[in-house]
Amino acid sequence: MAEERRFRSASGAPIALRRRQHSASCRELAVRGPRLQLRSLSAATSAVWLAAYGLFALSENSMVLSAAIFITLIGLIIYLHFVKIDQESLLVIGSLGIQVTSSYASGKESTTFIEMGQVKDVVINEAIHMQKVIYYLCILLQDPDDPQGVSEVVPLFQSSKPRLDCLIEVYKSCQEILGQRKTAPQSS
Amino acid sequence: ENSPAPLPERAIYGFALFLGSWFGFILYLIWAYIPETWLFSLGLTYWPQKYWAVALPVYLLVAVGIGYILLFGINMMSTAPLNSTHTVTDNYAKKQQHKKFQEEAIPALRDIPISEVNRMFFLPEK
Repeated sequence: MAEERRFRSASGAPIALRRRQHSASCRELAVRGPRLQLRSLSAATSAVWLAAYGLFALSENSMVLSAAIFITLIGLIIYLHFVKIDQESLLVIGSLGIQVTSSYASGKESTTFIEMGQVKDVVINEAIHMQKVIYYLCILLQDPDDPQGVSEVVPLFQSSKPRLDCLIEVYKSCQEILGQRKTAPQSS
Repeated sequence: ENSPAPLPERAIYGFALFLGSWFGFILYLIWAYIPETWLFSLGLTYWPQKYWAVALPVYLLVAVGIGYILLFGINMMSTAPLNSTHTVTDNYAKKQQHKKFQEEAIPALRDIPISEVNRMFFLPEK
């Protein structure tokens, strides 16, 4: 059972939230950001090449042109592989844990798994970030010494930064599954 | 006993500072503008180099400009990052004591944990 809804990110870019229910205690929520636009890629490439041509006109050194082509190619590969995140997904399995996956534009995927014993709660927190106050979803990790304490905060959806309406949807979905573990503590 | 009202001592301090700052300003103008030879002929020879009459104000203005940027940067550096527990709790909240609930009394002020706040805001169906 899958459904997809459109939302906006904190900076105004269109994002899409896809919810899939695999079973009664397993849910997957994926936020997909906008793909790399052809016009921004062409704009960046043309800017770099114009600057290189200007330098070449000033310095009469043809190495500047080949260096610019090299820089553009390497820069694009580095950007796609390390910077541009296409999709961030959250897989909540009721008795097992939470898995957070980031998929980059080059196809690389980076995954983190947090087991359910360490998870205290999934909450929407608001904090100051770069001269703005933003809402963000985060996982609170349990402090082993203090049952009321929080040992660590793991922020989610860092690159797509959805707005509050999308976060509320994700929060409600997560709380439905996290609420089950209090009512059935004897199962595993 | 600490009131901001005007007192005779404060008036005297203010006037002394006023005279002192005027004296300092006139002295600075004399040092900066009157040629060295005239000052030497008067017998006043032990002055700093006139270079400093221009350098010190420039240093001061550049320091003020850098101060704006520095303050901005210090503020950005001391903002807690998104993954720090300081966005969720602090020492006072961790050490607070739970007061007993009394009937007919206003509940005591306390720091409500973020999980409870979230449930109150986002879960009820309207």
